[in-house]
Amino acid sequence: MISKIAERGARSILIGYVAACVWLRYKLPTWRDRLTGRDPKSRDLTRIHQKNAEQIYRTATRSQGLLVKMCQVIGTRSDVFPPPYVKTLSQAHDRLPPREFEEIRQVVEEDFGKPIDAVFSEFDTRPVAAASLAQVHRARLLDGRVVAVKVQYPDIEHIVRTDLASVRRICRIYEKFDPQPMELLPLLDEMNSHLALELDFRREVESGDRIRGLFESNAAVVIPEFYKDWCTEHVITMEFVSGIKVTDLEALKEAGIDFQQVVQGLMGIYTRKILACGFFQADPHPGNIFIQPGPRFVLVDFGLAKELPEGFGLGLFELMFSMMTFNDQSMIRAFDELGFETKSGDKSTYVELARRMIDRSENRMFEGEFTEEMTDELFEAIRENPIVQVPIDFVLVARAFSLLSGIAHTLGHRANVLEAMSPGATQLRG
Amino acid sequence: MTLDPTTAAGDSLPDALPTDGPVEFSQAQLLADPEFEEPLIAGGVRCHGGFIDGEYVSPRTLVRAPAIEAWQGRLRREGAGVIDVSSEFMPPHYPSIDQAKLLLREGVEKPIIRSLTMISIVEGFGAMIRDVPVPDLRAVIKEDISGTALAHLCAGLFEAHARDEAGHREQGGHKQMWEAARDLAFENPKIPGDVLARLMQGRGRNRRPPLFPTLPDKVEGLIATMANVMVIEVFADDVFSWGEALLGDPEVSAAPEAASRMVSYIRADEHPHVQYLRTALSEIRCRTLLTVDGHELSGREVVDGIMAQQVRGIASSRPAEQREALYEEIRGDVEEKRLSSELLRRFSALDDGWSFPRAEDEQIEFAAG
Repeated sequence: MISKIAERGARSILIGYVAACVWLRYKLPTWRDRLTGRDPKSRDLTRIHQKNAEQIYRTATRSQGLLVKMCQVIGTRSDVFPPPYVKTLSQAHDRLPPREFEEIRQVVEEDFGKPIDAVFSEFDTRPVAAASLAQVHRARLLDGRVVAVKVQYPDIEHIVRTDLASVRRICRIYEKFDPQPMELLPLLDEMNSHLALELDFRREVESGDRIRGLFESNAAVVIPEFYKDWCTEHVITMEFVSGIKVTDLEALKEAGIDFQQVVQGLMGIYTRKILACGFFQADPHPGNIFIQPGPRFVLVDFGLAKELPEGFGLGLFELMFSMMTFNDQSMIRAFDELGFETKSGDKSTYVELARRMIDRSENRMFEGEFTEEMTDELFEAIRENPIVQVPIDFVLVARAFSLLSGIAHTLGHRANVLEAMSPGATQLRG
Repeated sequence: MTLDPTTAAGDSLPDALPTDGPVEFSQAQLLADPEFEEPLIAGGVRCHGGFIDGEYVSPRTLVRAPAIEAWQGRLRREGAGVIDVSSEFMPPHYPSIDQAKLLLREGVEKPIIRSLTMISIVEGFGAMIRDVPVPDLRAVIKEDISGTALAHLCAGLFEAHARDEAGHREQGGHKQMWEAARDLAFENPKIPGDVLARLMQGRGRNRRPPLFPTLPDKVEGLIATMANVMVIEVFADDVFSWGEALLGDPEVSAAPEAASRMVSYIRADEHPHVQYLRTALSEIRCRTLLTVDGHELSGREVVDGIMAQQVRGIASSRPAEQREALYEEIRGDVEEKRLSSELLRRFSALDDGWSFPRAEDEQIEFAAG
């Protein structure tokens, strides 16, 4: 108990220290500018952004817990944070040092209520992957089936709660003292609700089952089977499915897998999930997608599965379509349908945003593809126009398509969403 | 299927081509609008086209329409003719007018709203024609192509087509016009949430192997795309008749005149699309194509072969598959409304049971007039 309180205090102090450093790095130059009569707004903040982002990233990867998750969330919010934050903090995926096996064993045994060897005949003590909330081990059930076991870190809920409270306190202080504060508390609320869902592994199992159901007639999509008898709130036991990481070009080439088919297949899967079915994995980073010969697509990790509101797919389709056809009036209607809001209620404030995107389009930067550059441009326009509020669903979807675009470009192709949907697409590719 | 034995590489053009009037145009000319006296506003959206002397005039036809006539005139003077697709191959729209009216009278609106929305989306996808890869045709066609529609595909024809279908800048195109017609007739109905899912059904069909493997990929790709779009546009005539009749029926439509007129405007706009595609395909048909292995292929053999493949693909198996899928949707919608199976029986009884008029191994010929 005492050690928990001490740990809680130490984490709070660390978070407070980092927050103070970040804040002072912005404020000191501003105060200096005011004293010397220089306009603080004319200052280029890129280097300060970068320095702050790097400090947050270092602290998060050392301390783990909510801080890593927070980095991941900031890494998806190009609409709120400047590019140096997004680029630096979005790296907080898939690269975390694993926990000791003893901690993992403890969780498994507590949740199953029996010794680990009463369930598994083998359990590899080295994890195959480690992330912010859990790590995955290869194991074998007593009946011989090879499985992947995803185990939540034992103290993660406590750490998350502590960090969240500390960050919330700091945000309140910041909002009280800064004359023009960024609205960070809504972001924390959003993170809080996501984390509550992510920490309950039973929900991830449900989401995986649901996505499997969307593709039951498509043999090219593989969602590992969950072994429900051995799935709990903190442990998921699933079929161990092998595959090549989608961005491992050498291995894909060696297996004779056609890159263009991989991109087309992946776009088909995600456009179906997002636009047609309104339920998708919000985090399709390369670590969650594996390829088998065929190609067949192995999708894992449904912790961030997201249900989209009714009509969202059609609204998004209209938005992309209007961008492709440079039609600003349609684009304004699409923004409205997608749930964008203006603080004044005046829809004409979308016009500037629409025109900016369309200018980008005419330079052939948008050809049905949400590239990283394109989403950066959109979110920069949004950041510069504080009148517009973006629905979080849109941010997540844009982020998902931008990740897919990154994968497609690594494979030497384009991730054209409209082409993936087009009824006559195969005819239009010469 | 056997190919017409008269298709030989000797169908080429005379060396000196007779011309009558201008046949070379700039992109700006081909995209130029007539001077409209009044714009077309549909459902509060400014659409393309407009009115002159109270008559609807299609967009971008100031030069495009006479240009297509000039290219066709040239082909006819050369004795080559302009290829056509017989209406006997045209599958009727499903559900038929009578079937659609039955559903609407019984309060089953969803399949019709879905169908109209899907038509609008598919029209919008027509804009992708501007992204079709076009090879250097002068390098793969033996004869000169100056002053032809072919030489203007990337110089205004594809772009005009794309803008007509999906709209451009502040103007709506066919996509928005179909939406306006639907919203007028059914008073801004709720769009079924499964429209995109239905649209994506059947995606992922395997690509056919090339019919002419010795032709550069992009050449067969371009001809197949043009043939595909042309056949779809020709067959769309039945969709327009269906739309005009259904949306123009006061028994089921809230704005029969306005909604039906909107469909008739779209129908008028499609005319130049069919005509320029017929022209360009006919221009290839009377020329000689150079293969990658240094040989020659008759344009007629290539165009007719690809056209036959497209007609069969679009009109033989696909309508049957679509009818089956649509019937299942309608059954679901009827069940959702808790209506009796009697309605389904009456619906099925109105089916005319169309089938493709040629056997699998029977040749399809194309007239050129």
